[in-house]
Amino acid sequence: MLIEQLINGITLGSIYAIVALGFTLVFGVLGIINMAHGEIFMVGAFIGVLTTSVLGWPLWLAFLASIVVTSLLGYLLEIFSLRPLRGKKGVSHLAPLISTIGVSIFLENLSHHMFGAGNKPFRTAFAEIRFEIGSITIYLVQITIFVISVILMVGLSVWLSKTKAGKALRATAENLETASILGVDTKKIITLTVIIASGMGGIAGILVGMAFNSVSPQMGLSMGLKGLAIIILGGMGNVKGAMVGGLILGLSETLLVAYGDSGYRDAIAFIMIILILLIRPQGIFGSKTAEGR
Amino acid sequence: MQKYQKLFLIILATFMLILLTACGSSSTSTNSGGQSETSIEDETSGEVIQAKIGVISYLSGAGAAYGEAITQGLKLAQKEINEKGEVNIELVIEDSAGEAEQAVNAGQKLMADDSILAIIGPTLSTEFFAVAPEADLNGITIMGTSTTADGIPEIGDYVFRNSIPEALAIPAAMEKAVKRTGAKKVAIIYGNDDAFTKAGFEVMKRTAEEMGLEITTIETYQKGQSDYKAQLTKIKNTNPDLVLASALYNEGAVIIDQARKMGITVPFVGGNGFNSPQVIEIAGDAANGLIVGTPYFGDSTDPKIVEFNKKYEEEYGKKPDQFAAQAYDALYIYADALKRAGTGEDRDAFRDALAETKDFEGILGLFSFNEVGDVVMDVTVVEIKDGKFVEFEE
Amino acid sequence: MLGELLNPYYLQVLCFILINIMLALSIYVPLSSGQLSLGSAGFMGIGAYTSALLTIHYELPLYVTILVGALLAGVIGIIVGIPSLRLTGVYLAIATLGFGEVIRVLFVNWESLTKGSVGLTGIPQLGRELLKFAKSIGIEPSALGLKNNQFVYLSLVIVLLIIVLFILWFVIRQQNSRIGRAYSSIQMDEKAAESMGINITYYKVLAFAQGAFIAGLAGALFAHTIGYISPSDFSYHRAVEILIFTVFGGSEVIIGSVFGATILTLLPEVLRFVSDYRYIFYGIMLVILMAVRPQGILDLYLFYRLKGKRIKRGTS
Repeated sequence: MLIEQLINGITLGSIYAIVALGFTLVFGVLGIINMAHGEIFMVGAFIGVLTTSVLGWPLWLAFLASIVVTSLLGYLLEIFSLRPLRGKKGVSHLAPLISTIGVSIFLENLSHHMFGAGNKPFRTAFAEIRFEIGSITIYLVQITIFVISVILMVGLSVWLSKTKAGKALRATAENLETASILGVDTKKIITLTVIIASGMGGIAGILVGMAFNSVSPQMGLSMGLKGLAIIILGGMGNVKGAMVGGLILGLSETLLVAYGDSGYRDAIAFIMIILILLIRPQGIFGSKTAEGR
Repeated sequence: MQKYQKLFLIILATFMLILLTACGSSSTSTNSGGQSETSIEDETSGEVIQAKIGVISYLSGAGAAYGEAITQGLKLAQKEINEKGEVNIELVIEDSAGEAEQAVNAGQKLMADDSILAIIGPTLSTEFFAVAPEADLNGITIMGTSTTADGIPEIGDYVFRNSIPEALAIPAAMEKAVKRTGAKKVAIIYGNDDAFTKAGFEVMKRTAEEMGLEITTIETYQKGQSDYKAQLTKIKNTNPDLVLASALYNEGAVIIDQARKMGITVPFVGGNGFNSPQVIEIAGDAANGLIVGTPYFGDSTDPKIVEFNKKYEEEYGKKPDQFAAQAYDALYIYADALKRAGTGEDRDAFRDALAETKDFEGILGLFSFNEVGDVVMDVTVVEIKDGKFVEFEE
Repeated sequence: MLGELLNPYYLQVLCFILINIMLALSIYVPLSSGQLSLGSAGFMGIGAYTSALLTIHYELPLYVTILVGALLAGVIGIIVGIPSLRLTGVYLAIATLGFGEVIRVLFVNWESLTKGSVGLTGIPQLGRELLKFAKSIGIEPSALGLKNNQFVYLSLVIVLLIIVLFILWFVIRQQNSRIGRAYSSIQMDEKAAESMGINITYYKVLAFAQGAFIAGLAGALFAHTIGYISPSDFSYHRAVEILIFTVFGGSEVIIGSVFGATILTLLPEVLRFVSDYRYIFYGIMLVILMAVRPQGILDLYLFYRLKGKRIKRGTS
């Protein structure tokens, strides 16, 4: 049973990690908690359902469609709810929080109207492929999810540290004004960041749809809250932290259910962040002290 | 400092004024109809009885699917009833958004309108618990069509429901399932942050104990989760003969799907909330082996239900579920009581007529209220076999 | 006209407005010392459950239980506030949001006490208790020209109004006292405030606990207004809703909380006719508001302009 539960935990944790990567990227560069990230993730999942179940597209095309749509959403999010707030005088750190909450309310309710409030099945042949080792069943989807999350994390780390765009992004994250003086097109970098983060949300959405065969307009909220907890756990703006934090949360939720009381499952993420904030406010991988913005 | 306070008070006063005028302007005409009380003679002479029924339904937010089904069922019934011409019902529909606070506001709005005869709804038991005592004190009849928690009709004399409580539906399903399978060990999974599924769980646990079944494990899930694998793995390892799942169909369908994928092949037993054609739509073949107790059997060959299905599909392009069916019947029960009361204006006369409802023939079967206003009717046990709901055979 | 205005529906909405004003203030007070606390829903739940359980099980008078509920929330506010001192900005916001969720999950799971998600029914309603009291001392509502029902809600509104006015009076007084000046200096620059000899720990915890107390009070009053509570009343949605009250109205001035809570409680009621789309509107409205007036509808500048004075921004 332990091995099965560990597999469950790693699958869940990998999904959490991908969601958290999107959060952490935006926070790292903009210092903003994007409360709409969970809803973008949800829209990505719905695009997956629409393209595979309704339009009958192959899975890779569904992935592509989902990434395109969520990236576009990210772009719109940046244009309409983040950019107008930037550099404006008298804007408190609350404003982007509220603005993205507005976007999340909008997206969630729009989805109710467009897709209906209930769960939608996500059926693909791919999700049925499985291997049986003894009494343990492993689905290919579970392996895929883990692999994709690792690829995304490694890819993102490499991109950030090795490429020019990545360096520009880090420079922007370090200090927006200095980066702009040094010739970095910060506007473009910021837009790019939000788009990449949102696209990753789309990937996570499709993966969840495949793994759990359920997509609903409400799935964004709980995933968003968990993602929030994870970036604190791993350290705000830290890519590795998001990955490790996601896995820790996924595993501890699963193990809590397996050996403890499943009723407290939703609380564990927050109990963990309250503890970590008290012991090590900068998070597991964070290097700076927890300074508010 | 003084000035600040004064200014502040002025602004506060202005708000209050704006508030009051806003409320004042939104008030509807309270004196509609304006007829004098129609007596019983009028009914026999064929005069149409006018009545306004308030509806509180969960139309926006996470559970909007349930409210939507309910209002669609009501509207279909309204159309038919009004076409027949004996009574003419007007529905005043208010949204509760699934929140007790807004349900109470909606309820107060309807109760304060003297032309509203009675209320149907709200959708959730948690909303109903907040609104019903108020309705009872105001002397306006309120009937739940989807509220199955314990203790609802006991709130007061004016409180009714036509939704079959889980205390009737679940034991019936469990008894039949245990009889056929000879099950001795059962595992339970339920949503512990929802009043509906929690109430169902309590019935399951009680019934299992009464029947002398061994409960291998009790697992919970919470709203918004889509991963039930951890709980199901645990259940799988306890090797139960049956899984009792107190879940609404939206979550339930996903649970049964994940369970089958994991290799749990034993039958699932659920309550009324688990009964919906959506289960088959969401879970596909995985839904086979689900046993539920319900007043409503959608694929029944009963001509009444066949006709209801046809009309509903024509109107809304999808199959009705039991929430729609219960709401549909509820309005017919109201219309029936209206006919007997002979007037659409007297709230007390309506309440008394409603309480006397006995052996009403709806699409759900013969329906009566007991002395507290709870449901008396037969439960049908159905199961999903080869992707279809069929009547349970022993 | 008066009879029309005393419609229980309007009075009920007014009750929720007054309770929401208190909740908005419970965010405003910590915020005025630079702390963004999203734990109000949790503290509200503590106040509500404490007071409801005390009345149901021990039949204590309401004024005692409501006060105990608020005090307990305040004490827990101190306990939570002290370790939270290390956190600022969004960290504090998320930690307090998490605290609220933990409290809610606790209510769901502590079934022997809270009956879990089914919730507590039969909580004495404050207005009706007042009616009983009035009758016991020989005041009949009919003597005042009121129906029983009107009396119930009118008395409830009056009690709530008095409490709200008292809190407002207290907070405004405090703002212009030594404590208030300490709060705003901490809000502007914590290090500078410390170097000037302000006891940061004391004032920050005080502000946090005051917020918790107000939220607990609002929660207890909420329980006795609606008569039924369940854990879902104190969820993430509530926390966000309360935050939006304050930010929408204007987080720089106290009147902003009053304004935000009033308008946003009324809005769903007024928008009932477009109920299907109201949350979509709500979302768009927030985005536009933040783009146009990120400091909220009301701010200090507007205030002073109203009074015909011009001052520099940034003083409070």
